[in-house]
Amino acid sequence: MNTPPARTGAAGTERSQESRRTFLQKIGLAGLLAGLGGLGFQSVRSLVPNVSYEAPLRFKIGVPAALADGVTFLEERRLYVFKEGKSFYAISAACTHLGCTVKYTKLQTPKQVEIDGQRRDVPFEFHCPCHGSKFYADGTNYTGPAPSPLRWYKLEMAPDDGQLLVDMGSEVERNFRLTV
Amino acid sequence: MSLFPTIKNAYRRLTWTWNPASEKEAGDAIVKNMLLHWFPNKVTKGSLSWNYSFYLGTISFVLFLILVVTGVILQFLYVPSVERAYASVKDIEFAVSFGWVLRAMHRIAAHLMVAVVFLHMVRVFLTGAYKNGLAVGAHRQVNWIVGLLLLIVTLLLSFTGYLLPWDQLAYWAITVGTNIASAAPVVGGWMRMFLLGGAVIDQGALIRFYVLHVVFLPGVVLLLFSYHMWRVRKDGGLAVVDHEALTEKPASAAPSKAKTYSLLGITNGTSVHVRTTEVDEEGDSVPSVPHLARRVWLVTLGTILLVFALSLIFRAPLEAPANPYVTPNPAKAPWYFLWLQEIVTVTTIKLGAFTVNGALVGGIILPALLLALAVWWPYRDRTGVEAVGVWFAPTRRRQNMAFLAICLLIIVFTLIGTFFRGPYWNFYWPWEVWPDMPVKF
Repeated sequence: MNTPPARTGAAGTERSQESRRTFLQKIGLAGLLAGLGGLGFQSVRSLVPNVSYEAPLRFKIGVPAALADGVTFLEERRLYVFKEGKSFYAISAACTHLGCTVKYTKLQTPKQVEIDGQRRDVPFEFHCPCHGSKFYADGTNYTGPAPSPLRWYKLEMAPDDGQLLVDMGSEVERNFRLTV
Repeated sequence: MSLFPTIKNAYRRLTWTWNPASEKEAGDAIVKNMLLHWFPNKVTKGSLSWNYSFYLGTISFVLFLILVVTGVILQFLYVPSVERAYASVKDIEFAVSFGWVLRAMHRIAAHLMVAVVFLHMVRVFLTGAYKNGLAVGAHRQVNWIVGLLLLIVTLLLSFTGYLLPWDQLAYWAITVGTNIASAAPVVGGWMRMFLLGGAVIDQGALIRFYVLHVVFLPGVVLLLFSYHMWRVRKDGGLAVVDHEALTEKPASAAPSKAKTYSLLGITNGTSVHVRTTEVDEEGDSVPSVPHLARRVWLVTLGTILLVFALSLIFRAPLEAPANPYVTPNPAKAPWYFLWLQEIVTVTTIKLGAFTVNGALVGGIILPALLLALAVWWPYRDRTGVEAVGVWFAPTRRRQNMAFLAICLLIIVFTLIGTFFRGPYWNFYWPWEVWPDMPVKF
């Protein structure tokens, strides 16, 4: 169906007629693929969000003096903030198994656990209600399906108004302390 | 390099249906390819002709496809809630990558589809393609009615989509439209309640229009369109085929062989054999693949290109957010209903103490009459088969003129409503400046 009509003349001219057609066909096909590819790219790229309406990852939580000693649970952020005198640190409440919010659980008898290379008696730990994962006070997972410890997030001092600033975009080590 | 013939073979096996090497392969391709099975094996040259149909039906289908593809992507980005609709459309226009192109293409394709479907209807009327030819069992009048239904659904699709941006243009256009609908006798008020999901245009209306626009009405289009195409095949193809059958000259065929009988010995001369003529259909038909497939493909690409090019030039508008307390002056219906709004304005009749609302006369009765006339006409048309599938057939001259006159009136009223009407629906020349209207009272 697509063979061009036979042309009289030297074999050379026959060849060049055919190759011009196939050349143009190839250019046409390339142009078509480029055009359709462009439209396809536009369609997919438009579904990659440029703007997020989710809550920002860096946020202030008040001046250090206003924070209660011990633990404060920020429910909407799923974050436990700890104050020990002048020392502050923050542990994520998101269970590393499948994301449930872990509970801060006071222990009847303090457990002796190793934290930062020190053996200490700690009166609390974290329990996940969904599948039974348990974490020590420093977030270390010791039983249940959770594969890794609870995340620690960075704490800073906001330079303008002296409030504590949490940065849930920066993960830190379990020995992190912000001392004010 | 021994891999190369294998690749070539695999490529050939995947793509042969689009590039058949013989007529036999072309016939096979129709049966073996899912997309191509839509076509008949062969089409007549008349059916293929650009000048007969201008491929308006094909163009409207391609526009529908563009609307579905852009529409589905927009569905990921648009939120049909009165609190969030406007902001989501603003985001599409300004924050989403290529969002403005998607929205512009969707709008351009929608407006073009209304226009092209209308033009397709005009073409079908002017070629008498709602008539049956000599073929037995054809019911083209039914397909004409299905086509009219498709036109109405197209208008409804455009109307329901118009509300979704929830800006002033959308809100007040739908106010005008639904109030015209409520002028229908007996059922009018109930119809408006049903459309809006309440007495006012609010969340109920938005979500109903949204579901109608993205699910229900496209579903109706697909059903009607499938029947529309199936009916074309059942009726023997485009109407021009009937015309070609009439004008074909029978050619003498070779006498078919028959047994020679004789009584008692050998006779001289010829014996009884069948002399026949045949209509040379073979000469007038070509395989659908590649000829029809190529033209349809060209039309598809051309339409996509046109919509894309127009989208780069004409951005979709977004006015102030919908405000039920501030009516823009003038408040206009979408352009394809402006001819109705124009008529509605001038047809409020006072009979003594009794006033007939123009919305009833111009908005309900007149379009209903036109529709009834359009539905009835194919059954009333008394012209013969010589007028089927012919542009401006002489025997159909008067009806063609009348039809064109009505179309022209509709177009003129649409133009007046678009360019010549300003605040308070006063007449303004297009170059006249409109007075500044107060935004809040």
